[in-house]
Amino acid sequence: MLLKVKDLSLSLKKNGKYATILDHISFQVEKGETVGIVGESGCGKSMTALSLMRLLPEKARLDGEINLMDENIAKYSKRKLEKIRGNQVSMIFQDPLTSLNPLQTVGTQIEESLILHRNMTKEERRTRVLKLLKDVGLPRAEELVNEYPHQLSGGMRQRVMIAIAMACEPQLLICDEPTTALDVTIQAQILELMGEIKRRTQMGIIMITHDMGVVAEVCDRVIVMYAGKIVEQGPVRELFQNPTHPYTIGLLDSIPKLGQRKQKLGSIPGTVPAPGNMPAGCRFAERCRHTMDICRTTVPPMFDIKDGHQSACWLFDEKGGDQDGVVRSDELETALHH
Amino acid sequence: MALLEVTNLKQHFIIKKGFLGEKTTVKAVDGVSLFIEEGQTLGIVGESGCGKSSLGRSILRLAEPTEGSIKFKGEEVTDMNAKQMKELRKEMQIVFQDPYASLNPRNTVRQILEAPLAIHNIGSRKERREKVELLVEKIGLRKDQLNNYPHEFSGGQRQRIGIARALMLEPRLIIADEPVSALDVSVQSQVLNLMLELQQEMNLSYMFISHDLSVVQHISDKVAVMYLGKVVEISDVEKVYSDPKHPYTRALLSALPVPDPTQKKERIILQGDLPSPSNPPSGCPFHTRCPMATKECAEIVPPLEEKTPGHFAACIHT
Repeated sequence: MLLKVKDLSLSLKKNGKYATILDHISFQVEKGETVGIVGESGCGKSMTALSLMRLLPEKARLDGEINLMDENIAKYSKRKLEKIRGNQVSMIFQDPLTSLNPLQTVGTQIEESLILHRNMTKEERRTRVLKLLKDVGLPRAEELVNEYPHQLSGGMRQRVMIAIAMACEPQLLICDEPTTALDVTIQAQILELMGEIKRRTQMGIIMITHDMGVVAEVCDRVIVMYAGKIVEQGPVRELFQNPTHPYTIGLLDSIPKLGQRKQKLGSIPGTVPAPGNMPAGCRFAERCRHTMDICRTTVPPMFDIKDGHQSACWLFDEKGGDQDGVVRSDELETALHH
Repeated sequence: MALLEVTNLKQHFIIKKGFLGEKTTVKAVDGVSLFIEEGQTLGIVGESGCGKSSLGRSILRLAEPTEGSIKFKGEEVTDMNAKQMKELRKEMQIVFQDPYASLNPRNTVRQILEAPLAIHNIGSRKERREKVELLVEKIGLRKDQLNNYPHEFSGGQRQRIGIARALMLEPRLIIADEPVSALDVSVQSQVLNLMLELQQEMNLSYMFISHDLSVVQHISDKVAVMYLGKVVEISDVEKVYSDPKHPYTRALLSALPVPDPTQKKERIILQGDLPSPSNPPSGCPFHTRCPMATKECAEIVPPLEEKTPGHFAACIHT
């Protein structure tokens, strides 16, 4: 197991009070696997990524375990963490312009992690940088090493970011909306490149995105988050074909699909509860069409649906709600597709 | 007669470059012709920098077009004086992308919605109030929320307020520039549903500008694909999406991630980036990235031709 996150909780201080941002997040990533984390703005998907790298504000409170190759790094000292960041775990951010240093050349920025983590001579480093630039499909690598980020296009900048992330051949790559700022044809190039790197290196990838299309195309497994909690997770095919949590179903129904013109799209009434003001039971209860008494009082645990597909919804509790516990109930089906 | 008819519209900007201030022309919109029928939606798709927003703005003369003709209900818009323009803007309204930036934070929703009526001197105070209250319910807000300020609303609600403001003067045409791009999908669907409902109810026409192919497909009757200031393909939505005639449209559609993991399709990966609009390639603007490009493509500017009835594309190879 490459990464095993167990009961990860995060609170941030806001207006003198701690507000829960992440609540008991547990998931795993295997070697060579791409795991997608989806959800709408404010659901905690980016904070999950930042927590894994411990890139958090000073007053943040982090509980739980982050096991990276059987080492719990959640309580690592700053020093020990620096040995891991950019070395075993790398991260790619949404906006390549703000995450690159405008005052340093492309070459210097790629070289940085090699200086920190690898014992290489200047010559070896240069060869490695040039190879990395070629690997991410950038032309004229020799000239590019001396250029600055503003001289590059958005797609090229994101390729440079990937080259930086790949410099030390990490086992785990965390991508936070890596293609959101890019045009669709450039997005296709970057996704293709990432798939190719994954096949070659067998690294694990965590892909954070709000785009269900990106998830469907690149991920093996998917985690759906809502208001700081995981509401559903499972293999990508299974989850798209047989979504079980009312939030996931609502989310999928609200996407315009090719070939269905001018039909009314599904929508989810209401808004996401604010952090620090979460309801007692299920956090989706306020907006759900199937709310039962238990939903308002007790937080639903993850119920097993089948083969690694889990859903945090009381409808799948065998003692109540859903009867067979395997597929969503008829009631759910008709209510959602009437 | 079409409600809006645009012929050979050009919007060129002159920019200064470099230390000596050398002037170059950016051809943001370069000879676009299209029309929109009453009650219909024309989608405009393309990637950043293709000129889709400039097109919308120059149709409203928010930026003065360089050349070409814009006819609204048969009347030439480019010749109109300020007074006539003001009258025209009652019938042509715009909805912007960013619902955070396009509403005045110091005004209440009531003030925001009444402003268009006040500017055009329509109705008595009481009538304005009533009109605002009527419309606000149509867009799914409560009357008692009228005295709130924009920051008290969510992004989706703000965009609905933006739509309501555009509707206050009962326009015939709404130019919507990326109206749902800043919204989460579940909120985006609410706004799209609202726009479709309002269209049916009021027989509105939309020009829907977006980079999102699936959204455009959902809401439009016809669609125009733009690349570097030019329309490269235009037809009914079904025709363009099921049988794209321009290699750029084909690449765009194949690059679109589909939320269905069982569907594995052949992706056409375009090489390179979008050329700079200040220095577009010779001949066909797409030839530098086109998988079908030949020598002629660098020389001949392909005209927008009718490939099959009602289906126009600008490519010499299809």
